[in-house]
Order: sequence, then C-alpha cells, then structure tokens
Amino acid sequence: MAGKSGRSINNVPESSIKRMIFSWEGILVLIFIAVNIFCAFFSEFYNLSSLLRQMPVYLAEVFLMLTMAYILVLGEIDISVGSIVCLSATMSCIVCNTNAPFIVVVLTALIVGTICGAINGFILTKFQELPPMIVTLATQIIFRGIAEIVLGSGGSISVTNTDGFRMIGGKVGEVPYILFLVLILAVIFAVILGKSTFGRRVYAIGTNRLTAYYSGIHVQKIRMIIYTVMGTISGLCALFLVASSYGANTTTGNGFEMDAIAMAVFGGISSTGGKGNLAGGVISAFIIVCLRVGLGQKNVHAQVILLIIGVLLVAAVALPNIVGQVKRAVQVKNK
Amino acid sequence: MSEYVLELKGITKIFPGVKALNNVQFQLKPGEVHALMGENGAGKSTFIKVITGVHKAEEGEMFLNGQKVDFKGPKDAQAAGIAAVYQHPTSYPHLTVAENIFMGHEIVKNRMIQWKAMNAEANKLLQQLDADFDATAEMGTLSVAQQQMVEIAKAMSTNARIIILDEPTAALTKSESEKLYTLVDKLKEDGVSIIFISHRFEDMYRLASRVTVFRDSQYIGTYDVDGITNADLIKAMVGREINDLFPKPDVEPGREMLRVENLSRTGYFKDVSFSVKAGEIVGLTGLVGAGRTETVEAVCGITHPDSGKVYLEGKEIHIKQPSDAMDLGIILLPEDRQKEGLIMSWGLGRNVTLPTISKYAKNGINDEKKERELAKDLLEEVDTKAVDIFQPASSLSGGNQQKVVVAKALSQEMKVVIMDEPTKGVDVGAKAEIYAIMGELAKKGYAIILISSEMPEILGMADRIVVMCNGRKTGELSREEATQERILELAMEKGTGKGAGK
Repeated sequence: MAGKSGRSINNVPESSIKRMIFSWEGILVLIFIAVNIFCAFFSEFYNLSSLLRQMPVYLAEVFLMLTMAYILVLGEIDISVGSIVCLSATMSCIVCNTNAPFIVVVLTALIVGTICGAINGFILTKFQELPPMIVTLATQIIFRGIAEIVLGSGGSISVTNTDGFRMIGGKVGEVPYILFLVLILAVIFAVILGKSTFGRRVYAIGTNRLTAYYSGIHVQKIRMIIYTVMGTISGLCALFLVASSYGANTTTGNGFEMDAIAMAVFGGISSTGGKGNLAGGVISAFIIVCLRVGLGQKNVHAQVILLIIGVLLVAAVALPNIVGQVKRAVQVKNK
Repeated sequence: MSEYVLELKGITKIFPGVKALNNVQFQLKPGEVHALMGENGAGKSTFIKVITGVHKAEEGEMFLNGQKVDFKGPKDAQAAGIAAVYQHPTSYPHLTVAENIFMGHEIVKNRMIQWKAMNAEANKLLQQLDADFDATAEMGTLSVAQQQMVEIAKAMSTNARIIILDEPTAALTKSESEKLYTLVDKLKEDGVSIIFISHRFEDMYRLASRVTVFRDSQYIGTYDVDGITNADLIKAMVGREINDLFPKPDVEPGREMLRVENLSRTGYFKDVSFSVKAGEIVGLTGLVGAGRTETVEAVCGITHPDSGKVYLEGKEIHIKQPSDAMDLGIILLPEDRQKEGLIMSWGLGRNVTLPTISKYAKNGINDEKKERELAKDLLEEVDTKAVDIFQPASSLSGGNQQKVVVAKALSQEMKVVIMDEPTKGVDVGAKAEIYAIMGELAKKGYAIILISSEMPEILGMADRIVVMCNGRKTGELSREEATQERILELAMEKGTGKGAGK
C-alpha cells in the first residue's frame, strides 16, 4: 500500500552482518580474545581448567550486572545492591545455622533480597521526584546497617553446616553450576531486554519517560518490577558468595554495585539511559572475570586490577566519542 | 555608507549530505523589521546561524554597513552588534534576571562582580522594555514571555544594532504577543534593525515592512508586505497553490462517543461539560492558560479530576492512567511533540508501534517483521515524507513529526482522538496535509477533539466549538454561528474573579 502521494517508505533493514562486526559488541569480542591471549602469556597457570576453577567467586557479580543493565537502560542507578547482598548473605547464614533445610536457606536469601529491592522500588515509585542515586544511597546505608546490627560485635558469621552451600558450589565435570546459571539467566535477561515488549518499554522509558507515559506504558509498574528483581538477583548473588566463603561479614558485597555498573557500562550500556544491550554487558563481564582470574594467578594486587579495569572503563566511555569525531571529520573532508 | 546595515550574497552552506543553503541572498535596511518566512526545513535557522557566526558558510560574502566581515564564531557576531533571541529562551533558570542578562559580559571591577551596578543597569534596561518584574527575580519563576523579554534586554545590553527574533510569538498568548509587538516597535524607533522569523502571518502583517521567502534552501524573493497577498505568499513559500487549506468533509455525525460532565480539578478547571460524536470534530479553544489542555489531560488519566463524570458510548468510565484511556479507545496526541509525543532518537517505525507492541507480540516477544509492515503502512497512510522507517524522528520536519504522532494513534482501534495544538510550529504546506488527515479520520468515524489557539484552524475544521476561559467553559458555538469575534468575546470573558479558584 502506498500513500496518497504514492510515496513508498522503505522498511527493509540493512544487512546485520556488517553492523555486527563494526558494533561495540564486535570490538568487545576482540578485546575478550586479546585479554585471554594476554593472560595466557602473563600467567603460566592460565588455562581453561584453572579459569573454570577460579571464576565462580567473580561470576557471582555477573548476576548483578544482568539486572543493573535494566536499571541503567531506564536511565537510573541502584547503588544499594552491595548492601542487599550483605544483608541477604548474613540472613541466609543465620537461618542455615539454625539447621533449617537448605531450601529454606535459599528462600531466605532470595526473599530478603526481594524485600530490599521492593523497598527501593516502593520509595522510588511513590515519590517519583526523588533521584534514585540518593534513595539507594540511603537504603545502602540502611541495609548494611541492619546487617551490621544483626552480625553484632564480631562483625562476621560462619556457616556451621556447609553441606547445602557445598552442593550449589558443585560442578558438572569441570564446569561449575554457577557458570550454567549465569549463562542461562544471561540469555533470558538478554532476550527479555532485547526482544520482548517489556524490554522495548524499558528502552522507551529510559529514552523519554514522558512520551512513554503518554503512549500508555505503565512506567511506575515497570520500574517497580525492575528494582524488585534487582533485589531478588542480589539474594541469588549472596547465595553463591556464601557458597565460596562459607560465611558473611560486614564487608560482604562491598563495592559490588560499582563492579556491576562498570561491567554494564564497559559493555556499552549508557548510564544516561536508553542505550546498549546485554550482549555487550555479558561479554564485558567475562572480559573482567578473565582479567581478574589471570592477574590474580600471579598475585597482582587487587587494587592494580581495579586500576586496569578503571582505565578500560574510561577508554570505553571515551572511545565512542572519539570514533564519532573521527567519522565526522572524515565525512566533512570527503564532501 | 551603504544602503543596507546587513547584506548577504551568494551564501551556500553544506552539511554532510545536504545543501542547507544554496546561493541565498538577503538585505536588511537600517531600522526596518524584516520578516523571514518559509516552510520548516527551508533553511531559515541555518541562515540565522550563519549570520550569528555559529555556522560558517562554504561560499558567499557578508557585509556589515558596507564592510565585508568574516565571523569566526558567535563572539565575533556579538562584538559586531548582532544578537539573536530564540523561540525557547536559552537561559539559566536558577540565576537572577540580572545574571542572565549579563552572562558572559558581567560588570566587573578588580575581577569582582559589581552586583549593585549590574542590578541597576539591568533594571534600567527592563524599565525601557516596560517589564513588570525586577532584575533580582529568579529566571525560572518567569513566564516564557517574560523570559523572552530578558533575552531582548540581554541583546540590548550588548548594544546590538541588529536583533534576530526566531519565532518569538510561538509560545505566547495573544496579549503577550501584543506586548511583544509594542516592544519591537520601540526597538525600531531606537534605530535597531530586526529580522523576524515567524509562521504566523499575523505577526508579519503587524510588524514587518518587507518579507523575504526561502524555499528548499533557496532564495525565492523579497516582497513589500503592503504589496503581497496571502495567497501569493503561501505560493512563494510552498511552491504550489493551496486551494483548500481546510478540507472539511461533510460527515453526518453519528452517535455520541465521549461525554464529559461537570469535570473539575481545583486550580485548573471547573464544571467543564462537553461531548463529541462519531465523525464529528469538536474544537476546544480559548487563550493559552484557559485550562483546555488540563481538561483533556484529566479525561485521559494523565492527571486526575476532583469531581465530574466521563462517559464513553453512554457508559461511565473511570480512567486512572493513559493506558486505561487507550484500552478504551481514547488517545491524546500531546502538544509537545519532542517531549511528550515522540522519542526523537528512535526510528519512525518504533515510534509508531510503541503504544501497541504488545498487541501483536507472541508470548511477550516482539514480532519485528509484522511491526515493520504495520509501521510502513501507517506512515504511508498519513503520507510521511520519509525515506525509511528506521530514520530517527528528529530527522523529520515538525509537520512530518506530527504525522508520525497521528500514525501512532492509528496503530490501534481508536474511538476518540484528542489533538492538542497539532499544527503548532508547522508550516503551511504540512498544515494543509494534517487537516486533510483530520478530515479523513472524521470520515472514518473517529470522534475528534481539536485543541487549538489558531482561530482560522478552529473555524475551518470544527463542527462545534467549545470556548474556555479561566478554567471554565464560557460557551459553545455551532459551525454556522461561529465567528472570530464571537469566539474572542467568549475567550476573553470579563471578570477574571470567577476563575476556577486560582
């Protein structure tokens, strides 16, 4: 069907192969390969089996990145997740030490996380003019504060019966359960964000909240869901964290929110909202995981690793700008 | 000395991929008000930016008082006495009026800002402009009209001899526009030359002595305002004759679709009642601030009325949020296309399908192929001037953006379409096309509410006209009995005291 003027509007997308190679995700794949080659040269212990053995500790944070990506696409931020991890870990350890069945321990972690996330969501959707950064800064202090009170003077708790946690820390052959879970959740979260109507609406809200609202999108409902799921996933992260250390303390989950944000932003998910996708986020998460394992094997100081990641992050944020400027300069010259 | 204060010859400006200006010329006489007209995308804004030194032209020469000048940046133009006042004042809302006026050229002594001197100087300028506010007022608390006044004061503070006004009346009410006219007259008396960009013919007739028309990046001609007719001017701007600007179809209104009874919201509107039938276009008019937008926003669930009832096809409905309204078949096409109507950075296709994606998704997963087909059909139905459905909404002109907004409403089964100022900032050619679409919708049986401040539009398109003033409905006129005078009378009803408790 053509319009009254007979004008025809093209609706065939250009081939995606070319787009894929030159996209940020394409570059990330190259970086991923480069980082692995670098690690292999840097550390004689770096190989697939050592990677699989040592990655679970770092993988727990990748869970957080998956939901943090949604919050960033909304154009918002949640800096309370590290504290939610701490509180969930603490509560699940306490419940575990009462000799409750392990399923109850799992549910405790998830429910505590969900409640914390729902509190964030409730405040942010009831008082919409409050900035998420400040609200989650407040809840960050509150959640960790509760954990500290519960932990008491010692400031730490150990699991007495480690059977349950040992079980979820298990592996199939050499591959740890957590890797399967991370990959499965990554696919689910990526499909929902990239392909579903829910995801499309998240992008709409992040790009122009008013237009989204006028277009009949339940803005507050979607925000509530995302913040709540962020809490649930934090509980999941807490479970696997306890599975690797068999305990929790007041510093558990410290800085996790920033790691999750760093992974997402490095993956091309803009913190101003509406941009990026989870493919990038997941690849960048694995780049950081590999880097940590490789450098960690040669006892490179944790701070130095952070520094390298920081430099990468600045480069990631600046690069699209630089590329854009070069492109424009070339275009103008060619005219 | 040259006959012209400002003369531009053979200006060509190229952006990657497009010639934004192609060999255009312009002459400005001292102390004249010169209107610059043309459709959106004709190159007016680019041209202004060349004059103010924001853009550098690839070809062409510019003469100031007969002397050839070559501006490297906006600072050079400012130093040469050229200032521009834009449609949306680019001010600092949290600073005072004085700070805004002297931003960039503060009165300083020993590197310290001389507040007293600056405030006094600012007040002096404001007095000259007959302003009703003080230099220490915070910018953000002022109305758009007042903010524009500050911008003009700013231009005067730099001793500008040439002032460019870019669509200054677009956001103003009738009385505010009148005030602006007197202001421009005053500047003219002081010997300031003014370039005036506007889509309103009214502005041009009232102010300008000459008018220059651009079309498709080219210079069409310069005419004496006294010697040109409306029709000729439209033809110069659009490039073709528009025989029927308001193609109002003869539709026998069907049964009543939407009825609003005694709707009130404290501080905004009170006891507003009206109804609209299938195939009928009801105009909702009044001065800016009369409560028109607020009323329909309450109908559509964007805000909530305190009391009153809304009926759809005879049944009372309760709408809590816009999605409820849309599920029932009522859609509001908001006034501000860029902030409320469209996602400017998104492709056209995704914009069109945004309200309805869930309707043709499978298990929550988007059917992108179907989505692309639907988007293409709808965009072609409203005759959008676009190359493909993936180009961002920001790449279209205002008129075409409005068509995309309309296409959004067509993406689902709608009964009532409410259009809030659908032709605001839209050029004549695109206006006619939007009216044609409106007529088509009415023929198809949609009930349409048209909110507009433009008298010809209301008189030309509406079957019935509801007039509001100060949050109250002051009258309802049929198409036959409506005249400009009667509408104005109702819109400016005396005795503001009986407003909606403001």
